[in-house]
Amino acid sequence: MSRPYVLRTILVWILLELLAALQVPATGGSPILFSWLRTLVEPVAIVAEGTVDLAIDFGLGAHGLQRAMVENREMRIDLETLRARQMLLQADLEALREIGDFAGPNAEFDAGALVGRCTYRDLLAGSMEVRTAGSFILAHDTPVVSANGLVGRVLRSEGRRHWLQLVTHTAAAVAVETEDSLVHGLALGTGSNALTVAYVPRQAELERGALLVTSGSDGIYPPDIPVARVTRIRESNEPFLEVTAISTADLHAIRMVLILPKWAPTASGGLP
Amino acid sequence: MRAVIVALAGVTLVSQRVLGMPGMPAWFGYLILPMIWIVAASLARKERHWPYEALLLGLAWDLLFGPVVGPGGIAWTAACLSLYGLASVVADRSPKAWAAFGAVGAVVVILVQRLAVMPLGLASVFTINQLALSALFTGLWCGFIGAVLALDLGKHWRAYHVRKLR
Repeated sequence: MSRPYVLRTILVWILLELLAALQVPATGGSPILFSWLRTLVEPVAIVAEGTVDLAIDFGLGAHGLQRAMVENREMRIDLETLRARQMLLQADLEALREIGDFAGPNAEFDAGALVGRCTYRDLLAGSMEVRTAGSFILAHDTPVVSANGLVGRVLRSEGRRHWLQLVTHTAAAVAVETEDSLVHGLALGTGSNALTVAYVPRQAELERGALLVTSGSDGIYPPDIPVARVTRIRESNEPFLEVTAISTADLHAIRMVLILPKWAPTASGGLP
Repeated sequence: MRAVIVALAGVTLVSQRVLGMPGMPAWFGYLILPMIWIVAASLARKERHWPYEALLLGLAWDLLFGPVVGPGGIAWTAACLSLYGLASVVADRSPKAWAAFGAVGAVVVILVQRLAVMPLGLASVFTINQLALSALFTGLWCGFIGAVLALDLGKHWRAYHVRKLR
């Protein structure tokens, strides 16, 4: 028998069976054919309902996963922010310790000294902005130091914000001397981290690596604050040596400074 | 010729109805008279097509004897297809073959009809004895018809008529 023959037979038999089922009433009174159809459709409906529920659950799960990923990302950002803040606080703490170590032995610095935080500095322009915890009106030329040495002086003060002129500023000048006070000079800013030490006599006994500290004779800075370390000495036809030194204050990385209001020069130009 | 066959089929169905009337012997119920038509279709026809005649016969059977219309069509077409298959492998066309085909057709009709009504909850109990008796009586009926056809009574009648005219 060919396939169409068999298919036709099966089709006719199915139609006849359905015809018979249409005539036989089921328990509820409706034809048994309807109960057959319900039996066929119910699993499909259950599967369809389950599929829809699954799709909804999957969608909700995907939405929840997306939210969780977003929250996770935000938490990571918060964590990174907290880590960065912690690092900044640690750096501030270390800077404060250094300032404390520096100011501790110098009772005159510690008395009335203000701690400021560097918020902005422009090394090429030789300027720096620092902020103090409270609002203060600092006098012009109030000296500012760090744990490593002299930073500069106050140019302008406004509440908690104070603008400094660094020792490397091209217009800055600091009266310096060697630690043994035998050699005197004037450290001039060059716009870079290097300072030019002028007016050092040719017969002066000065060596590379010598530490230059403030002499206090300029009437601005207190004496004995480290300013620079000599890096180059050259003789010329001039009556003075050409001396170059590097600022001891780590100006590009400095975070905390110590402002010395009590050392601000008076209007008469002398020290207080 | 087709109209005659249809009329004769109708006669067998009516006769089947008569066999089941009250007062008739109980064993008449085992006899399936219309079986002769599908046995004849399977043994006498040269070309076989899909058995629409068996389908109509089965539906008519359902109308007259069944609780619902449909299972008879399935059963009678199944029996006819079975006999078609059997006839394609059996070369014998003697009255014995008619009897055997009738028995096989009866068994197929009864079994398939029971299977067809089973999903409907209408299947009745029957025994092997009932099935065997039905196959026996229907086979005898079909064998009888086969024997009558083998005798070719028409030829004998024509010969008798010719002798009488002489």
